[in-house]
Amino acid sequence: MAAYVVRRLLYGVGVVLGVLFLLFVLFFTVTEPDDIARKALGDKVPPAVIEQWKANHGYDRPLWPWQDWDDNLLFDHYRRMLTFDFGKSDADDSPILDRILDGIGPSLSLTVPLLLLSLLAAIPFSLLVAFFRETYIDRMGVFLCVLAMSVSMLLYIIGAQFLIGKVLRWYPISGFDPDPTMIWRFLALPLIVGVLGSIGGDVRFYRTVFLEESSRDFVRTARAKGASEARIMVRHVLRNAMIPILTQVVLSIPFLFTGSILLESFFGIPGLGSLTVDAIQGNDFSTLRTMVYIGSLLFIVGQIATDLSYGLVDPRVRFE
Amino acid sequence: MLGLAALIVAGSGASCSNDPYPPADVGEKILYSSFVEAPRTLDPAKAYTTVAHAITGAVYDTMLEYHFLKRPLELIPGLAVDLPERIELPDGRSRYVFELRRDLLFADDECFELSGEGRRTREVVARDVAFQLARIADPEVGSPVIEPFSNIEGFAAFGSRLMERREADPAFAAAPIHEQYEVLGGIPGVRVPASHVLEITLARPYPQIKYWFAMEFTTPVPWEAIAWYDGSEGRARFDDHPVGTGPFVLAEYDKQSRYVLEQSPNWYGVRHPEWKAPGGVFPSEGEIEDRLAGRLADAGKPLPFIDRVEVRREKESIPAFNKFLQGYYDASGIIKESFEKVVQEGRLSPDMAEKGIRLEESVSPDVFYIGFNMDDPVVGHAGGERSRKLRQAMSLVVDVEEFLRVFLNGRGVPAQSPLPPGIYGHDPDYRNPFRQVDLERAKALMVEAGYPRGIDPTTGDALELTFDTSATSTDGKQQIQFFTRAWAGLGIDVRIDQTNYNQFQEKIRNNAHQIFQFGWVADYPDAENFLFLLWSEMARSTSGGPNATNFSDPRFDELFLSIKARDDGPARMIEIREMLRILERERPWIELFHREDYTLHHAWVRNVKPMGLSLPTYQYRDVDPVLRAKRREQWNQPVLWPAWVVAIGAVALIVPGILTYWRERQ
Repeated sequence: MAAYVVRRLLYGVGVVLGVLFLLFVLFFTVTEPDDIARKALGDKVPPAVIEQWKANHGYDRPLWPWQDWDDNLLFDHYRRMLTFDFGKSDADDSPILDRILDGIGPSLSLTVPLLLLSLLAAIPFSLLVAFFRETYIDRMGVFLCVLAMSVSMLLYIIGAQFLIGKVLRWYPISGFDPDPTMIWRFLALPLIVGVLGSIGGDVRFYRTVFLEESSRDFVRTARAKGASEARIMVRHVLRNAMIPILTQVVLSIPFLFTGSILLESFFGIPGLGSLTVDAIQGNDFSTLRTMVYIGSLLFIVGQIATDLSYGLVDPRVRFE
Repeated sequence: MLGLAALIVAGSGASCSNDPYPPADVGEKILYSSFVEAPRTLDPAKAYTTVAHAITGAVYDTMLEYHFLKRPLELIPGLAVDLPERIELPDGRSRYVFELRRDLLFADDECFELSGEGRRTREVVARDVAFQLARIADPEVGSPVIEPFSNIEGFAAFGSRLMERREADPAFAAAPIHEQYEVLGGIPGVRVPASHVLEITLARPYPQIKYWFAMEFTTPVPWEAIAWYDGSEGRARFDDHPVGTGPFVLAEYDKQSRYVLEQSPNWYGVRHPEWKAPGGVFPSEGEIEDRLAGRLADAGKPLPFIDRVEVRREKESIPAFNKFLQGYYDASGIIKESFEKVVQEGRLSPDMAEKGIRLEESVSPDVFYIGFNMDDPVVGHAGGERSRKLRQAMSLVVDVEEFLRVFLNGRGVPAQSPLPPGIYGHDPDYRNPFRQVDLERAKALMVEAGYPRGIDPTTGDALELTFDTSATSTDGKQQIQFFTRAWAGLGIDVRIDQTNYNQFQEKIRNNAHQIFQFGWVADYPDAENFLFLLWSEMARSTSGGPNATNFSDPRFDELFLSIKARDDGPARMIEIREMLRILERERPWIELFHREDYTLHHAWVRNVKPMGLSLPTYQYRDVDPVLRAKRREQWNQPVLWPAWVVAIGAVALIVPGILTYWRERQ
C-alpha cells in the first residue's frame, strides 16, 4: 500500500507542476502586466503610476528564465505557489493568504451543513423511493427528482429569494453575520436552496445504487430468512451501497473549502466562492490564479483520498 | 424537502424573521446602507472611487468643503479657519495661505503610541497636511493625482529627488518616510511658517487648486499612522485602516461583507459645538426649494445627528432593492427591472408614495459622449472641411432623447456641450445646432462633404467606418447598434469592432481607433475639469492623457490655458462660450447625455440633498428610528400558513402510500 500511496502522490506532484505551468501561460502571456495594472488602477492614472504599480507587484520583470535566469516571473510563480506565499492581490494589495483564511470560515459554515443536510435528505428519500419501488411514491419521487434536476440553480436562488425572502418573509433575502445567534437566520435560505438544487441528482443516483444492491443474492437470502424490508434496506442495502456514496462524499470534501460560487455570491456570504467571483469581476488576476491553483490542488488531493478510502470501506479492494 | 423546510418553518413559528440586523439595534440612530464592491484602498492619497469616498469622506475631514444646500456647489471652510486668499507673486506664481483651526484632534488610535507612551491621539497641525502632500508627490505611494498638484512649486522635482536618493542611499531608503521627507526638506512650494499655517506656492496660475483642498487627497494624515500600519507583525495596512479627523471613525471593516462607521468623539463638531463652525453645524442658508422641503428645520444644530452607519455588502441589485422595500435599507437607487413600477409619468408611483418613500432626482456632474479620433484620416483633422461636415452630419442624426428612453428609462439630460448643469459655463438655454435631430440637413451636409447618400467616391460603395468598443453585454451592443442604425440612415456603413477591454485600450493607445464611446465624471465642479479632456496637451496619442479624440485646436488650447488660470467671472464666461462654439463647429465629440440619478428614501430619513460629486453627507443625515421600527414590523410579518399547507400536503402524500403498501404486504 505504501508504494501505491507514494506512486499516487508522485503522479499528483506532476499534475500540480503541469497545472502551474498552464496557469502561468494563461495569466501572464495572454494578459500583459501593463493591462493588469491598468485594470487595477483605472484609466485616469498617469503612465508613471502604472510603471510604479508594476514595479511594486513585480510585474516589471521578464517572463521567462532565458531572459533573466535569476529574476524571472516563471520561477517566481512556481516558488510562490509551491510555498503558499501567494503575494498581494492585484485589486487592493491585501495579502492573498489572509483573504483566503478569512473566507474559509464563512465558506465552511455554508458548505459543511449543506453537505450534511443534502446527505440527510437524499439518503432517506432515496431509500424511501427504493423501498416503495414501482409504486406511485417511487414514480412521483423520480418525477420530482427529474424536475428538480432540470431547474437551474439560478432560478432556485431567485425564486427562493422572492418567495421565501420577499413574499413569505421567513428569512433575510441575503446577508451574513457570523454571530452565533444570527448566523442560522442567514444560512437557512441558502441551505434550503442548496439542498433543493442538489437533491434531484443525488436521489436519482442513490436510488439506482440502492435498487442495484437490493437485487443482489444476499438481499434475497435476507428476505428468505424473514428479515423485515426496513431492516434489509438499512442493514444490508445501505451498508453495501456505501462505496459509491463514499466516493461522492469524499470527492466533494475538498470543495467544501472553496465554497459555493453561486450561493455565496447571491446570498452575500463572504466565503471563498464569493472571493473567486470578485476576483473575476475585479480583474484580480493574482487572486484568481491562486484560487484556481488551490482548486486544482484540492481536486488532486480529493482524488487520492477517494482512492485510499476505498480500501478502508471495502476489504475486497487491493492497492496494486 | 420542501415539506421538510415547511415543517421547520412551521415548527419555528414566531422565531422566523427576515430582519438581517440584531434585535439590539432597533431604536438606535443608525443609518443603513449598502455597497456593491469593496474599495481598493482607503489611503486618501490614492482612493479615487465613489465607493472609497463613501468611507474616506466620512473618516477624513478636509481643509475646505462644499456647502450642503447651496447650488451650484460653493466652498466653505472645513478644518481651515477661512477660505484661503490668493496672493499674486512675480513670474506668474501665486500663493494660498491656509490657517488651520486650533485644538483639532485625530481620532483615537493606537498608532499615536509612536509619538508618546500611552497616547491615543494628538492635535492636528499644518505639518500633517504638508506630510500628506509629500506623500502624493512620492512616486512609491502611487497617487493618481500627481498631475494637478504638479502646479505646486517643486512638487514633481521633490518626487524625482526622493527616488534618486532612495536608489543611491539604502540607509535613507530604509528610514521611515516622514524622516525621508524631512531630510529632503519637503516640497519647496509647501511651507509651514507656523504650527497651524500652511502656505502653498504655485509655479503657474491654477485657481482650481482650492477644489483639491475639498477632497480627501489633501486631508491631514498623521505620520504615526503611516509608520504603524505597514501590514507587518499582524498590524493592518494603512490602505485598510484610516486614521483621520472626520466626523466618523471606521469601527469595523470587512471588505467582503460589511463596514461600520461610528461617530467620532474627537471631531471638532462634537467637541466644540460652540464654535458654530460652518462644517460643524447644519447650514442656516439654502435655496428656496430647501425651505419648502423643510431642510432648514435643523439649521444651526451641531452635527452629526446619527450615531452609526451600517453598510452591508450587496453584490446583486435585486436583493438589495427588495431589502430597501422591506425597510432594511434607508435609501436605494432604482433597479432597471422595477423602474416602471416605481416611477410613473416622471413621478413616484402611488404604491411607493403610500409607503412614505420619497424620490430625489439630481443631475450628475458627468458627460457621456461619442468621440472621433481626430488623428484618423477619414474622420479627423487631416480630412479638413470634408471630415468636419461628415462629423457634423453624424452628430445631427443621433437622437439622444430616444436613446435615453430606450436604454436608461429616460434617466439622463441630453447634453448640448461637455458642461453639465451646475457647472460654471453651462447655459440651460443653449441648444447646440448639431445636437438637434435633423436628417435632411445631415443628408445635405453629407453631399457637401462629398459623400452623397453616404457613397464614398473612392470606392463607389457606402462609406465604411469603424466603431471600436469593449462592450460585451447585450445591452451595450444594442446601444452601439442604436448609433450605427442612425448613421445607416445617411448611407454610412459603420462596422462595430468589438474587442476585449485590453485590446480596446491598446487600440486607443496606439491611435488605431476611429469612433468610440466614453464618459467622464468630474473631480470638482469647474469647467476646466471637463474642457481639459479636449486640450491637445492631454492627447492620448502623444501624452497618454485623457483626450482620447486627440483633438487639437490652437485657439481652443489658448483659451483653455486662459480659463485654467482665471477665477469665475465675465471674462472667463466669454472664453468658455468661445471654446464651446469651437467644439460645436469642430464636433470632435457627439455629446450624448448627463446622467440623472434617482434615489429613493424612506419617510424616516431626513436631510437628504444629493451633491452630485462623490461626497458622503452622513453627518447631515438624520433618521427617526421609532418610525422605522414601526414600519419594519408592519411590512415584515412572516406569512406562515403556506408552511403548514406544504407540511400537511407532504404528510397527506406519504401516509396513504405507506398505508397502502403495508396493506398490500399483509
